[in-house]
Amino acid sequence: MKMKLLGTAILSSAVAFGMAGMAQADEFPTKPLTMVVGFGAGGSTDIQARVLANVLEEELGQPVNVVNQPGAGGGVALARLANNRDEGYTFVFGTSMTITFGPLSSETDYELDDFRYVSGVTLGQSAIVTGEDRPFGDSWEELVEYARENPGVSYATQTALDRMIIEYIARQEGLELRIVPTSGGAGMAPLILSGDVDFGYSGGTHSGYADTGEMPVLMSLAEDRLVAFPDAPTLQEAGYDINAAEIRVVMVPKDVPDAHVERLAEALEAATQDERFIEITEERILMPVTYIPEDEVTQTLRDQVEGYKALIEELGGLPDEE
Amino acid sequence: MIGFDAILMSFAAALHYESIAIILGGVLLGYIVGVIPGLNRAVAIAIAIPLTFYMSAYAAIAFLIGLSKGTAAGSAVSAILLNTPGEPSSAATCLDGYPMARSGRPRKALKVGLLASVIGDLLSTLLLIAVVIPFASVALKFGPYELAAILIFALVFIAGMAGGSFLKGLAAGGMGVILGTVGLDPETGAARLTFGYAELMEGVPILPLVIGTLALAEMFVQLDEYRRNKGASVIKLSKDKEDDLSYQEFKGTLPTIFKSTGIGAFVGALPGLGPSVGAFMAYGLAKRSAKDPDSFGKGNPNGIAAAEASDNAVIPASYIPLFGLGIPGSVSAALLVGAFMIHGIQVGPLMLRDHPEMLFTLFSGMIVASMLMLAVGWYGLRIFAKVTSVPPHIVIPVVIFLCLAGIQVQGYGTFGLVTVFAFALFGYFLKKFDYSFVTFLVAFIVTPMLEMNLRQSVILSGGDIAILLDRPIALAFVVFTVLMALHLGWSSYRQWLRKRLKAPSS
Repeated sequence: MKMKLLGTAILSSAVAFGMAGMAQADEFPTKPLTMVVGFGAGGSTDIQARVLANVLEEELGQPVNVVNQPGAGGGVALARLANNRDEGYTFVFGTSMTITFGPLSSETDYELDDFRYVSGVTLGQSAIVTGEDRPFGDSWEELVEYARENPGVSYATQTALDRMIIEYIARQEGLELRIVPTSGGAGMAPLILSGDVDFGYSGGTHSGYADTGEMPVLMSLAEDRLVAFPDAPTLQEAGYDINAAEIRVVMVPKDVPDAHVERLAEALEAATQDERFIEITEERILMPVTYIPEDEVTQTLRDQVEGYKALIEELGGLPDEE
Repeated sequence: MIGFDAILMSFAAALHYESIAIILGGVLLGYIVGVIPGLNRAVAIAIAIPLTFYMSAYAAIAFLIGLSKGTAAGSAVSAILLNTPGEPSSAATCLDGYPMARSGRPRKALKVGLLASVIGDLLSTLLLIAVVIPFASVALKFGPYELAAILIFALVFIAGMAGGSFLKGLAAGGMGVILGTVGLDPETGAARLTFGYAELMEGVPILPLVIGTLALAEMFVQLDEYRRNKGASVIKLSKDKEDDLSYQEFKGTLPTIFKSTGIGAFVGALPGLGPSVGAFMAYGLAKRSAKDPDSFGKGNPNGIAAAEASDNAVIPASYIPLFGLGIPGSVSAALLVGAFMIHGIQVGPLMLRDHPEMLFTLFSGMIVASMLMLAVGWYGLRIFAKVTSVPPHIVIPVVIFLCLAGIQVQGYGTFGLVTVFAFALFGYFLKKFDYSFVTFLVAFIVTPMLEMNLRQSVILSGGDIAILLDRPIALAFVVFTVLMALHLGWSSYRQWLRKRLKAPSS
């Protein structure tokens, strides 16, 4: 009995040392990785994440498991990641808004500097949209003019960020808007299509109506004009100095070793050239795939946070603090 | 608008072997759940939702609908052989099914039940399709004003109709409403009732709530009952040639089946009444209109046919308000809304307009499910008869395990487990003190929609109530709601008064 126990002990310590030895060889990754998605299964982030995980699995030579940690617009997943210590084996695939505007609009346990941004892989296509046959047509300038003459034009908001942007614009242009809350693209679409609401924010729903023309875009909230709606100006072109471009990024805790981040970045760069990832992103979710390296994406996010802070100051605090 | 091609395509998709396999899986699982007394439809759907994460949205919903249909048909088996309904709604089936089985005709009873189930289900599915399609053309007429009015009406109606006292119904609904308001305020973004938990910012997560209140709480109740009644005797199927259903006998039950299907479909289309009401109403009517009412309760095949046809007809019909307006009218419909949400689909009128192919494939899937129900029930008769004798001390632990595993799969972690147990306790007491479960759950699911639509209405109209005059549909529902509340309040006041008047005389 005793011998048996001793044998087990020796065997298990040998296994443990063996594992440690493998890890020291620094052939990251040496064990399965976990990709955390801060949204529920079945959403557009989740759909994209599962394909990305498959591609990364081939690039890294280790299984990549997708885990959903929904809650607080992706915030729950980030709060957990901030406390994670497994050196890059767990990473979050999410959207930039959670990390840039999240800590400003609500109390969070994390901030921009708690993470490293391995790379951006996809550009968001959010926009200000309207419906067919509106008195102001589908031009942003005419909308502003119409809204100035007709107080009480209605706007459908979905996020605290687009709400802040529209309030900033309303102040700049001297508009009196009725701002209506809606839940997600599925809540906004019927209001815009039926004409109950005049115009609104859309994260990506409008891309699905690009062919029928039922949901024209007034203004692009991305850095460039939208792929499917090249006629609509960007925020900057329309004369507002805000950068609200959404980027889908891969994040790890800030103390992950450089070598691990580099290996992940390499794999991600390869993934942005992979047919399967491009197809699911550009044809199903309708967002352009692009590779943005760590320095560049981190700088963009930092600039955005500064921009939002300035905006909040100018507006005299957030709407809920009034 | 919806081309013939599209319909054919959707059928082709539903007849693909993968779809058939998934639907068959759902029906089979549902059948087994239905057969096992104590495991019911809501428990099965709640546990199955996490299983569907790895399926496509269509496969997931088809699987869940197959499951829900299968339970209704399967529950007849234990009602007939065991005198214990597998689902509460099959209680009416016991009345004639068990006596018939005891008199040496179990196979005949089972086959009558099965055929009635399948016919009721199929006809009701066709009715659903016929009623929901015209909705697409008027869907956009239902703006925030109309939806807010209809949702309030539905809540009051369910509170009044779900059985028990109106006040308890309202109380259950109120609890659902309070839980439904947890999370970030949709307008200001202020956190409400979250107690600092980031997990609660988007509201009480639906899956732990559903699994806790429905599945886990039900297991606690079962444990309670298990101690009291052990060992009912199961009737075995004989190989007797006499004991088979002839075409003549089947033809004799057809008029009852058609009539009962009508009743079931009507009851199903009204939110909150549920299959039990439908089954008993159909049974009562069949008995009253029969030439030989005395033979009911002693093994009349028409009794089985009426109860089962109506029970099964209720389920597809209860999806009419679901797909037409996005309003869940029953527990299983409310759970389906949750499942749709998890798969990123907003149920409602716009679904029909923007994703008709999805809905049509679903409808074809439902028809396929009916057919599979017949095949599964017919050829599996003998096997399912054996399943009735699976003892509760095996069923209960397995279900509890599945409940907790389901939560872990969702990634809620410890928070999810604590939530599940909290809601299991809550659900247990709801059941013990006879508060309406449907009202609670539907109120919880509907509250965020109601709040959103109500706020939108107030903001868009600038707070001017005269807007209702421009919106006749909304106005009508507001008037209905007031009348309904007055009527329900008045009748429960009269009941209370009658009880008080009686009390001193007795």
